Amino acid sequence: MTTTVAGLDSVTNDQVTAARATWSAFRRNPLGMISVGILVLLVVVAICAPLIATYPSGYGDQVLQAPSGAHWFGTDNLGRDIFAEVVWGARLSIVIAALSSALAIAIGVVVAVLGAYFPKVDTIVGTVVDLCLSLPVLPLMILVAALAGPSLVTLVLVIAFFSWPEVTRVVRSQALSVVRLPYMDAAKLTGGSSVWIIRKHLLPAVAPVIVVSVVLTASRAVLSAAGLAFLGLGDPTSWSWGRILYEAQQSGAMQSAWWTTLFPSLAMLFLVVSATLISIAYNDARNPRARED
Amino acid sequence: MTQVVRFTARRLGRALLTVWFAVTVTFLLLRLLPGDPALAVASPNMTPAARLELLRQYGLDQPLLVQYGKYLWELVQGNLGISFARQVPVSEVLMERLPWTLLLTFTALLLTVAVGIPLGVLAATRPRGFLDRFTQVGGVIGQSLFVPSVGIFLLFFLGLKLHLLPIGGSYSPGVYGAAWYLDVAKHLVLPCVSLMLVQLGSYVLTLRSTLIDALGEDYCVLARAKGMPNRKVVWKHALRNALLPTTTLVGLQLGYLVGGAVLTETVFAYPGIGRGIYEAVTQLDFPVLQGAFVLLAVTVVLANMLTDLTYGVLDPRVRTA
Repeated sequence: MTTTVAGLDSVTNDQVTAARATWSAFRRNPLGMISVGILVLLVVVAICAPLIATYPSGYGDQVLQAPSGAHWFGTDNLGRDIFAEVVWGARLSIVIAALSSALAIAIGVVVAVLGAYFPKVDTIVGTVVDLCLSLPVLPLMILVAALAGPSLVTLVLVIAFFSWPEVTRVVRSQALSVVRLPYMDAAKLTGGSSVWIIRKHLLPAVAPVIVVSVVLTASRAVLSAAGLAFLGLGDPTSWSWGRILYEAQQSGAMQSAWWTTLFPSLAMLFLVVSATLISIAYNDARNPRARED
Repeated sequence: MTQVVRFTARRLGRALLTVWFAVTVTFLLLRLLPGDPALAVASPNMTPAARLELLRQYGLDQPLLVQYGKYLWELVQGNLGISFARQVPVSEVLMERLPWTLLLTFTALLLTVAVGIPLGVLAATRPRGFLDRFTQVGGVIGQSLFVPSVGIFLLFFLGLKLHLLPIGGSYSPGVYGAAWYLDVAKHLVLPCVSLMLVQLGSYVLTLRSTLIDALGEDYCVLARAKGMPNRKVVWKHALRNALLPTTTLVGLQLGYLVGGAVLTETVFAYPGIGRGIYEAVTQLDFPVLQGAFVLLAVTVVLANMLTDLTYGVLDPRVRTA
């Protein structure tokens, strides 16, 4: 065994203990753990939707029934079970959130890291990100979704395309402060390739920011997707929380039946609040100063 | 002096760049996405000759680059074109709607700041107290609310159940004089409160954390050691510094608010720009869409300039830099 390998080992050991310390601090935060529980529950509901409720379709004779034992969340203007709609809506909302935030994070992180590492690229990246952030995002999303035709793929692409600049902004500011640290110069002096330095030294240093950014981008994506669906620009072939609200508004059911709008709204609120609380708890757990008290 | 000139020139250049970028992105999206602007003016059932004549009239038969050049040239002269759907100048269509959006967003923003700053100060001066916990929880929930949901529930309870406030539109027909202003104000309450509830959280949380940091700084410790009353330390010394990030937030939010009001305007059938954009999209009214996006870009630029001015008032260092 050479000394370099021993040195590398000790570094990895340190990282393991840092991750463990973060985790053990996170576990002691009740709000964080409850949020994780809610999020896991929603994901399980989304995955097991076919086992929980039959896909709401067609017409029923029990129109606009208030919540009862037979219909936990009541029925809508066409007699469909709202509980089933919310369950199946969880599926689409979570799929859109996951896919679009994955795409936005991938683009955003690559652009941010390349910008921070290559100063010549950075002036362009900085300007482009600033310009993109000043665009009116929701109206542009409406425009693209309406012209390209509403579908799952359109929604994911539209949301990802307008979300990456925010990811880049956050990751870039962290990456810019990391590339100035002496250990980055040391890594360059070892003669390693740029790809190796970015992958092994720069990315791990910005990883925590990326984690928080994943959670926040995903929860914002849920709201954007719901906003588009509420305007009738969602995927008309599958249920989403936004579509339940859209149909309640279009049919006028919301004026008499509060349950048509309350339950999808609550589902959305639970998802977004738990995601936000997880990111806050994670930030607190990672910060040793916050851990002490 | 030259420094001031250079600074102003740079700011103006940046403002123009922002507007140009928004205009170009909108132009390219409109022309490159599947929706065909020719379909909006010309019906496919027309004779080919009549169709070509109509397209020529709108300049839609020319290559993309020529159309783009012409559009920019007209835009520089202040001409936004003619609406496809209504055959009137775009500026006329937009000016019907702009006052309502400005009224809604500025009222919402002013009220948010007016409520948010005292709340943030109260939370920061008694950290970990009841009010602090409450604002923190409320802030997180507020930021996570879906705007239409808030609107729907306000409308349901205050409008439909209690009959306290009108449920939609911006004014009732047939009301004139002083009663008209009262009527407009009544119609404004629900959309305004829904926007406020959603935004308030980020202001309170931002101000709270920056103010707590500022109160821990040496100059605040010194001010207290001199025997200055706590109220004065908070409001005169700490708050002035702590307001800088909040000012940035106002600048960021204003552009977002004007465009993002489309959801609120939909719930309350409020005749603003956001709703106008949605209607123009469904009618493929490209000139109105482009005009609306120019307007939004200009709003963002103006908001940023106002933010810079406020920065100068709050922070003397910015004035000399």
